[in-house]
Amino acid sequence: MSVLALAGVSRWYGNVVAVNDVTFEVGPGITGLLGPNGAGKTTLLHMMAGFLAPSAGEVRLDATPTWRHPQVYRQIGFVPEREAVYSFLTGRQFVVASARLSGMAGAVAAADRAIDMVELRDAADRAIGGYSKGMKQRAKVAAALVHDPPTLILDEPFNGMDPRQRLSMMDLLRAMAADGRTILFSSHILEEVERLSDQVLVVVAGRLAASGDFRRIRRLMTDRPHSFTLRSSDDRRLARELLAAPEIESVELRDGVLTLRTGDYGALTRAVAPAAQRAGVSLLELRPADESLESVFSYLVRR
Amino acid sequence: MIATLACLTLRALLNRRRTLLLGLLGALIVVVAMVYRLGGPAEAEALDFTADLLGNFGLAALLPLVAVIVGTSALGSELDDGTIVYLLAKPVPRPLIVIVKFMVASGVTGLLVALPIIVAGVIGAGGDPSLGIGYAVAALFGALEYTAVFLALSLVTSRALVIGLAYVVVWEGVVAGLFAGTRILSVQQHALAVADALVDEGGVTAELAFATALPIGVAVTIGAVVLAVRRLSLVELRGETG
Repeated sequence: MSVLALAGVSRWYGNVVAVNDVTFEVGPGITGLLGPNGAGKTTLLHMMAGFLAPSAGEVRLDATPTWRHPQVYRQIGFVPEREAVYSFLTGRQFVVASARLSGMAGAVAAADRAIDMVELRDAADRAIGGYSKGMKQRAKVAAALVHDPPTLILDEPFNGMDPRQRLSMMDLLRAMAADGRTILFSSHILEEVERLSDQVLVVVAGRLAASGDFRRIRRLMTDRPHSFTLRSSDDRRLARELLAAPEIESVELRDGVLTLRTGDYGALTRAVAPAAQRAGVSLLELRPADESLESVFSYLVRR
Repeated sequence: MIATLACLTLRALLNRRRTLLLGLLGALIVVVAMVYRLGGPAEAEALDFTADLLGNFGLAALLPLVAVIVGTSALGSELDDGTIVYLLAKPVPRPLIVIVKFMVASGVTGLLVALPIIVAGVIGAGGDPSLGIGYAVAALFGALEYTAVFLALSLVTSRALVIGLAYVVVWEGVVAGLFAGTRILSVQQHALAVADALVDEGGVTAELAFATALPIGVAVTIGAVVLAVRRLSLVELRGETG
């Protein structure tokens, strides 16, 4: 059981604030750190893992500050986002070296176990330089968990993995969490966080925009008004027809673009086609106007 | 832990193609000595020539070139490509990382320089090893000092190789030639002073007294290692995206 705690943590580079007064605790289980690219996720993770000094505030793992206390790495496994690895080592040598640097006895046996956990056995005796991105990622994970740390921090662990590898990595993290480990991973992909994490931290522009149970945050995200843009053979005719549908909150026709807003995603998609049929208009395109993660985030921030 | 660290450092250094090129450069000094010997020179002349060869080629060119490349990449290449994270994410005391890297880098430098110097010295002096050994010991002394300085430099700036080369070429090559007072801060002059103290015959002409060069060299080496330890414990990792 270990708890990572951030208290009033900020980090700035000159005049640029990368992380702004963030306070939270991460305990056992899987916590997803969600945010768009450039939101400060890596800065935050690096401060949590003790690779970066907070400009203000403090990060502690249980009682020990992580910055400038290398002994905390007995309790932490860290998987960096960067792909760089010692390309001249084989996967096995890399994991064994990682075990030895952690001061483990029985490093070779531990490396064997870690390699099996990430399913890298077949490639373990090849040089890492020839690995695919997904294989490198798994070698990095094996090196991070070889000393069986109670806390695992992973920066964008699913980058470059194919869907099958993604699933098996998710299973691995779930199994490790079930053993009572504290696991924190970052991602800019909503679906990954949704499938894996019990707790979610949403970071936008260096601030903690939301935190807590994923279902609660999911509701926050889905309750917001959705907007769609629409193209058809006769937008004005279609707009008149759509305005009659109660599911649709507003219809706007500006600069030749027809925009619809609704609180009920499902009802809108069911209402559009019949309306077009009634109006005798051909639908050319219906697309969500703001489904990018960034707009979801900015909605959360405004609340 | 120490063995693993040393092994990683050594493999990273030997894996680089430029390290092998440096080995070839060392072989060149042996070839020059052999070719000279084939010309059948007079013995007294041969000692002068060999001393010049070992001093001007070995200590003044080969040594700093090998040291700047090996010294700046022992930790610097890991800082550049981000693999340093795999060392920093381990409960290894930071001073230990620096000291092991320093030992391995100065060992590699010393070997790449001292070995060809001994061989070239024995060949050039017609079988007498004393000249070669004297210069080789000086090269080992210089290797320790240079490597410490360049290792520390790689933790201070990301342009360590360029700055290191500039120090060797401009400071030691030009400035130290023009202003005698600056020679006190020239690693090359420290190494020459050691050679001078060890070799009686032959034309070693050190500009610094051994009694001055030795303590300064030792102090610079220790100071640079201490600086490197301090810098490493303050190294911060930044993400590529933030």
